[in-house]
Amino acid sequence: MFLSRSLHKPFSATASSSSSSVSSMASHHLHHQNGDSTITTTHSPPSKKLKATPITPSELLAEFSHHHPSTARINNGSFGSCPASIIAAQRKYQLQYLQQPDDFYFNRLKPYILKTRSIIKDLINADHVDEISVVDNATTAAAIVLQHITWSFFESKFNKGDTAVMLHYAYGAVKKSVQAYVTRAGGEVIEVKLPFPLKSNDEIITEFKKALEKGKSNGRKIRLAVIDHVTSMPCVVIPVKELVKICRDEGVDRIFVDAAHAIGCAEVDMQDIGADFYTSNLHKWFFCPPSVAFLYSRKTDKIADLHHPVVSHEYGNGLAVESAWIGTRDYSAQLVLPEVMDFLSRFEGGIDGIRKRNHERVVEMGEMLAAVWGTHLGSPPKMCASLAMVGMPACLGISSDSDALKLRTHLRDCFGIEVPIYYRAPNDGEFNPITGYARISHQVYNTTEDYYKFRDAVNKLVNDAFTCALLSD
Amino acid sequence: MGEPYEDSHLNGDSKKPELSFFITESQLREEFAHHQPLVARINNGSFGSCPASIIAAQRRWQLKFLQQPDDFFVNHLQSHILHSRTLVKHLINADDVDEVSIVDNATTAAAIVLQHVGWAFAKGRFQKGDAVVMLHCAFQAVKKSIEAYVTRAGGSVVVVQLPFPLSSTEEIVVAFRKGLARGKANGRKVRLAIIDHITSMPCVVIPVRELVRICREEGVDQVFVDAAHAIGSVHVDVKDIGADFYVSNLHKWFFCPPSVAFLHCRKLPVMPDLHHPVVSHEYGNGLAIESAWIGTRDYSSQLVVPEVLDFIDRFEGGIEGIRKRNHDAVVQMAEMLAKAWGTNLGSPPDMCPSMAMVGLPASLGISSDADASKLRTHLRDHFGVEVPLHYQAPKENEIEAENGDRDSLITGYARISHQVYNTVDDYHKFRDAINQLVQDMIKVLQRMGCRPINKTHKGHNHEGGVKIDSSKGEKLLVLGD
Repeated sequence: MFLSRSLHKPFSATASSSSSSVSSMASHHLHHQNGDSTITTTHSPPSKKLKATPITPSELLAEFSHHHPSTARINNGSFGSCPASIIAAQRKYQLQYLQQPDDFYFNRLKPYILKTRSIIKDLINADHVDEISVVDNATTAAAIVLQHITWSFFESKFNKGDTAVMLHYAYGAVKKSVQAYVTRAGGEVIEVKLPFPLKSNDEIITEFKKALEKGKSNGRKIRLAVIDHVTSMPCVVIPVKELVKICRDEGVDRIFVDAAHAIGCAEVDMQDIGADFYTSNLHKWFFCPPSVAFLYSRKTDKIADLHHPVVSHEYGNGLAVESAWIGTRDYSAQLVLPEVMDFLSRFEGGIDGIRKRNHERVVEMGEMLAAVWGTHLGSPPKMCASLAMVGMPACLGISSDSDALKLRTHLRDCFGIEVPIYYRAPNDGEFNPITGYARISHQVYNTTEDYYKFRDAVNKLVNDAFTCALLSD
Repeated sequence: MGEPYEDSHLNGDSKKPELSFFITESQLREEFAHHQPLVARINNGSFGSCPASIIAAQRRWQLKFLQQPDDFFVNHLQSHILHSRTLVKHLINADDVDEVSIVDNATTAAAIVLQHVGWAFAKGRFQKGDAVVMLHCAFQAVKKSIEAYVTRAGGSVVVVQLPFPLSSTEEIVVAFRKGLARGKANGRKVRLAIIDHITSMPCVVIPVRELVRICREEGVDQVFVDAAHAIGSVHVDVKDIGADFYVSNLHKWFFCPPSVAFLHCRKLPVMPDLHHPVVSHEYGNGLAIESAWIGTRDYSSQLVVPEVLDFIDRFEGGIEGIRKRNHDAVVQMAEMLAKAWGTNLGSPPDMCPSMAMVGLPASLGISSDADASKLRTHLRDHFGVEVPLHYQAPKENEIEAENGDRDSLITGYARISHQVYNTVDDYHKFRDAINQLVQDMIKVLQRMGCRPINKTHKGHNHEGGVKIDSSKGEKLLVLGD
């Protein structure tokens, strides 16, 4: 036995936090009420939410004033962006941890992460918070889902030669992950070849159906379909809902939607889309700092025994709980969702308003550039999210992936423009083909000047009879 | 704001800034002013600590990424991670920078090594039933990782029991030999031995070099040293230790921010085919390259190693000086506490790194892990003392020695740490808190009408406490002098 607590007054240092009260550790406050006088919190408990003041243009400028001035940053798609007030919120959490890490670990971290998961659940219309795990990024989520496939092969739940289907335009890391976890374990991979440029969803659906046929041929079973919601390069919005339905009709075991870009630039509704697994990065289009993503895993009768590959003492307690502790590290990026929701509420229409305006602007800018350069968009506007593929003038002579990369570097180094360029191999018989496409993004910090700068840079290159052949390696 | 120290460090330039004077008392206090005041933070072992100037350096890296992430990714990240790896290589006396990978923490490193073992079972290179050996006090995450990757794949696990408390390293060597022999019984092949360099709970320094040698003699395929605590608290020479895999956290005792660790993989006889479980486009380019890009995330904590070395230079004797002083101080404080409480250390001083296991008064009646955990929380919440506690179940022969008297045995140990920011007051605060608790127990029991008797424990007079006399079924109150 040892002494009951009642004999002692609670330790009350001036800096003590309410979370270290005598009451049991199970009093997980889901809002961040915090009596700690050394730490100020920016957010108030949900019950006391004040009406958010709309963000003014100058406040918006200030929020992104840490962005490199004089760079036309039209590549939000790659690494995202984070407003200054969210960075400040993140630093508060980092400091909380550094001040008293044991207290943070025992009393604060789990409730904070649960809060994050709850917010995400509501955002994406999931049924249950158990379905939501928070991980570093979509790359990690892919490893989690694919490692599960590996075990299924090893434990003979799958047969050698069973297939996984993915898009040819799947993200490079995901392709490697499929190689590392499916091919290496004895599975076969079928790639869906999609045309680009694209005119309509039908082109995608046709190719997808063909690939499923192939995957099922010779009595094989399609164990997993990996479908992008918004492909990376080239960038188009995939009709995931339709493709998921086709997968169900064709008896595909599990469907994993890699939606790295989606949250904040496409519509994300788990009930509507109907996939088994769905991941998206919150640091791309949802204003979180690097890095934080969610992995949604549908609760079904089939037990999806997913595990985080970094195993801690939480192993076996469900993916969400495993992912919430993978050893000592900085979890602060995963904790700022409440502050991000506050930030979003300062924009007309919230995240939906932002999404809509980003889309309209990027299409407008894309069409402006295409008109000036005499090119075209790589897909119709309705297949663009907050990104658009804009054809580059053929005379630039982009004739390989390497050329595209060199041109991109040249634009960064000599013109202060940050934009990824995609090389598209021409088909036989194409006359004067457009082989290069710029993937322009639009986020709330972008201005028309960014795109004019790009327009003018390319015009200059054309006028100077520049070709990629002139660039050294 | 200033630029990160790019130029001088990118070239491995060992020129230190002109002002390499030693850090003053007040500067030291400032460096750790962000620590919660009034908390006796004697648990550096769990989560480590990071000076303010390193946090500032980290923020500069974070800002650099946020300013222009594409430029950072393309032009800066890889070279700076290579620089960190190079510095670590020198620190640990590795042969080749290819052998050094940077990962989040030892937990991640364990997953990397064990996933590799899992594949070997799955692919038939290892046979079902082949064994992995671990210490019974291995870190819980490592135990679970073994379950997740070895047991699940058909391997068997041999657990080597180590004694505690200890009087010498010889006891460890003997126990390990016995455990290993048992593991090899029935002709089982031991594919991997996982040995802590410094165990977590209870905390002792393990004679790893010797145990690695024993493993080689006994034909263990590979040895993985989990040295989570080691760098910055004991001497680390991976060539001398001779393991196949060696991991240590730089955020525990090496002043890095959370979180960063290195995993050393000996490239002899061949570079093992390890992979980071989070697969990126770098897959297949070697573990070090794979680990340097596992998707978009904040790598800033991995980039401040140069700044940390500058910080360490401001202490007399550098990291060796810090290590030695931490060790001396923690032993001194442990002995002070043991004397005040009438208890003992869990191991001799030479088996203590910058941490020590100090026996808690038996009268506290810690009789389970849950008790230890509750007491720890109580110390945090009511006394502002942060220190992890370990429950050590008494052995049968110990109980016999006390004539069946369980309640005089020390069953609880505190793991006290000492890092540069600690002061004597921290340990006095702990001493007084425990004394207070013991006193209060006496009062409670007096109120309950317990009959006082005089008894000493192992010849020492102690503060007093509660003892259940099972023969009489009464609660007896033991009073000290």
